[in-house]
Amino acid sequence: MMMLDSIDELLVHIKEVQLDVIELSNESLMKMSSFMEKNGLEIDEDISTALQYQDIVTQQLNASIEAIDSMKKSIEIFSHAFKSDEGLANESLAKLQEKLTATLQEAKDKKSRFSGKHAPEHAEDEIEFF
Amino acid sequence: MPLVIFVDDSETALASTRMVTNSMPIEVKQYTEAQVALAEIKAGMTPDLIITDLNMPVMNGFEFLKELRGVPATKRTPTLMLTTETKPELKQQGKALGLTGWIVKPFNPAQLKQAITRVLRLPA
Repeated sequence: MMMLDSIDELLVHIKEVQLDVIELSNESLMKMSSFMEKNGLEIDEDISTALQYQDIVTQQLNASIEAIDSMKKSIEIFSHAFKSDEGLANESLAKLQEKLTATLQEAKDKKSRFSGKHAPEHAEDEIEFF
Repeated sequence: MPLVIFVDDSETALASTRMVTNSMPIEVKQYTEAQVALAEIKAGMTPDLIITDLNMPVMNGFEFLKELRGVPATKRTPTLMLTTETKPELKQQGKALGLTGWIVKPFNPAQLKQAITRVLRLPA
């Protein structure tokens, strides 16, 4: 079970790095946008898109942080089951595999959902009135 | 001047919209939490247009929209969803809840201006 502890530590590390990236990218673009606003600079499509990518980056990273939290929880449950009854290990391992697969699928789905027009299949999506 | 409120948990998204609307003849209020905007509406604020994100913590765009439709002052206020979501079933859900339109991020500044102009019937 040493291996699972290492995986858990690695997941904690990845999550921390992702949270830092969210914070730094937000701070960086807020500084840029406040400079532009202070100096009355006009925003064009490219700059607008660049600013909005931060929102997409944040949503993508938050979705993968959710996946990490879900993985950590599944590993914790497996680890607990293994420690209390090794006979249950095979059954628990199958459940762990199932949960990790579901987590991966959900994370992939969110990657696609949160890409907006950045996703090639939606590059032409603009405004739709109902 | 017509009042337009923007609701988005992303500060950079709000900054992007602010830079687009700065030159428009509208009053703008921005909120990072839908529940705060809703509380102000319930306290008497009457926006002419509401532009909201969908995926937000605590209260998402659909929940916000449902609440808005329950408040007499915003029962029919035009509301646009500004989101990264592109799924047709979500758009349908929004339409069924009385949404006016759907804008996919990252938005084009000129098109956002046009959408606001069109909904508020401002001089082009």
